[in-house]
Amino acid sequence: MAGTFSSINTALTALRYQQVALDIASTNVANVGTDGYVRRRVVGETLGAASGPALWARSNDTASGVQTSRVDRMTDALLDVRVRRERGRQAYLDMRALSMARVETGLAEPGDNGVANALGKFRAALGDAGNAPGSDAARSQVLAAANTLVDAINLQATHVNDEISDQQAHLDAGVTEINTLVKNLAETNRTISAAKAGGSDTTTLMDARDAIALRLATLTGAKATEGADGLMSVTLDGKELVTGFDSATLKATAGPPATTFELDPDATGATVTLTNAGVGGDLGATAELLDNDLPQYLADLAVVAQDLADHVNAQHNAGYDAAGNAGGDLFSYTAGDVLATLKVQITDPNELALSEVPGGGKDGNNAAALSKSVDVDDSYQRLVNGFGSKVNSAKQLADNQQALTKQVDNAREQLAGVSLDEETVNMVSAQRAYEAAARVMSTIDQVLDTLINRMAV
Amino acid sequence: MPTVRMTQTMMSHQAMGGMQIGLNRLAKVQEQLATGRIINRPSDDPTGATSAMRIRTSVAAQEQFTRNGEDAMGWLNQLDASLADATDQVRRARELAGQATSGAVGQPSRDALAAEIDQIRDGLMATANATYLDRPVFGGVTSGKVAYEKDGAGVITYAPTATATQGVLRTVGDGAVVRVDMEGPDAFGPDGDSVFDHLAALATALRSGDAAGVTAAADALDLDGKNIINSQAEIGARTNRVEYSLTAASDAALRLKSSLSEIENTDMVKATVDLQLQTVAYQAALGATAKVMQPSLLDFLR
Repeated sequence: MAGTFSSINTALTALRYQQVALDIASTNVANVGTDGYVRRRVVGETLGAASGPALWARSNDTASGVQTSRVDRMTDALLDVRVRRERGRQAYLDMRALSMARVETGLAEPGDNGVANALGKFRAALGDAGNAPGSDAARSQVLAAANTLVDAINLQATHVNDEISDQQAHLDAGVTEINTLVKNLAETNRTISAAKAGGSDTTTLMDARDAIALRLATLTGAKATEGADGLMSVTLDGKELVTGFDSATLKATAGPPATTFELDPDATGATVTLTNAGVGGDLGATAELLDNDLPQYLADLAVVAQDLADHVNAQHNAGYDAAGNAGGDLFSYTAGDVLATLKVQITDPNELALSEVPGGGKDGNNAAALSKSVDVDDSYQRLVNGFGSKVNSAKQLADNQQALTKQVDNAREQLAGVSLDEETVNMVSAQRAYEAAARVMSTIDQVLDTLINRMAV
Repeated sequence: MPTVRMTQTMMSHQAMGGMQIGLNRLAKVQEQLATGRIINRPSDDPTGATSAMRIRTSVAAQEQFTRNGEDAMGWLNQLDASLADATDQVRRARELAGQATSGAVGQPSRDALAAEIDQIRDGLMATANATYLDRPVFGGVTSGKVAYEKDGAGVITYAPTATATQGVLRTVGDGAVVRVDMEGPDAFGPDGDSVFDHLAALATALRSGDAAGVTAAADALDLDGKNIINSQAEIGARTNRVEYSLTAASDAALRLKSSLSEIENTDMVKATVDLQLQTVAYQAALGATAKVMQPSLLDFLR
């Protein structure tokens, strides 16, 4: 049989529980816009009677009250893993598309400042000089156009090289950030473990840990899993980045020609080399850009520049200058480093070999042949076209991935996001329940009043 | 994937995404309208960008052909005019030779005729030294200022020493190379047997009263005149060829420019309609967002 005051106690547990429910609702409302916040839900449980007070004894107690069993974080480990994976892929594709689009803008094609236009101008200047080989102005024009052409090629190479050094800086900054994040994650693991042992609430710490794991996945495509012991471990290319309370140190050497990632698991200096294909995310894209995309463009541009110089020089050597001497080289470069060393060798317009006969003939026929020898348009167009297609496909891939990332993000938001309507409903029902519990208390109070003050008076 | 639970954040993300997409499309059309070009960077349309670059190269080539052709016309017109002059002068000399052989002419008259022949010879030399843009048109590839010069003894010889196997050439079309000069000896005969030598021989014969010499010189002048007229005909043929190439080059440039415009220029009508469509879509997104973001349960609780 229930004691006289047990109902008051039951009402008290209800007041306490609804207080917690209101607390949780207000926390959820407060964090509706917080990044990485996972909505909480309070889970109550009925305070039951003792199921078996003693052998052969029986209890008449009915259930008596409610208590807060736990506060749930509305999250799903599987969904989190998917979000991290897709975000890593998205970061990889975005970085690649963004960087290549920057380089593409630097190509200045199609436009008046591009190499294609400079090639055309050079050819036109040669043609005009061929019509007037005796004119100093026409000859100077050829030299000016040749210099413009070299400048246009150099400018493109400079833009690509700038992007390379930007990416190298990005790699260094990324590695520094990763090493800090990895340390923080191991530290958070330790704090969570301690808090759990002490019985404190760990939901906020877990939010922080998930945010770190997501950032790590975005930067490197690292995989994070929560073990049975509640500790999160992170692996990169199958090698352990964080295990329990321990973290490894990531080291990177920027390319070109080859970017390498190494892990130092125990700060001894002995490192494990990672394969680049195993590193994704932001840094994976940076490595790909540094090793392949950007140097490849420079190498192809160097081939175009060298072909241009070789073909024009060969024809120039076959001609004779204004004084009737055999022509030398018009362009000069150092083999192996064409882009940095390409320049116009001739400074005196009269040294341009525009004639095909020795002895100072003014036929200008070699100028026409020279203008024909500028035949790198096709290979240059192929280069620009190829790069344009690459940028196009990188953008397309990033857009496609965006749809997938959005879908996974949405799925996670469905589960973890705060709905204001829902919280309002929770709040109102907690409020009503609180009021009801208070009414229970005052009713019992009246009952007791009847019992104590009105009976046997 | 069915949505089971919708949150305010999801809605605001969706609204933001929708408006971003709308604004992006609007910006794309706006760029096309503002620059007047569909292809603003290679990745907009890699194939189109390549075609545009190729066509632009071809346009430049055709324009070069046009400039070359105009220069060639300058040379050829000068040659034509000079050869016409030369024909007149040789005919006049031939007439004078005819007068001298008519018998009723005395030595004083023959001397006068000889003086006129000398004049004609000097005039013909000036004609043969005609220039176009400071270049003697009968001088081949010479770097000198004149094609013919007179030495102390009054002998007129062809001056240029530098000779090109092909002469002065102009490329006026794909594979169409036209020679635009004519070396003096081709029109006026080789040194020693040139029209100038024949005129000198005629003057000498007139002065010495050598009737046979006059007749021989007159016959030689006949041949010279024919030779000059033939040369003029050849120049005319070349002029025709250049004129034809000029027309072809400007036609080709026009055709190529219109293809270029088709590939890379914005179709204004289409872009304007697109702009209108995208504006409407964007406004719809804005309106929907404003409507959707407004209400919440809180509005309906007291």
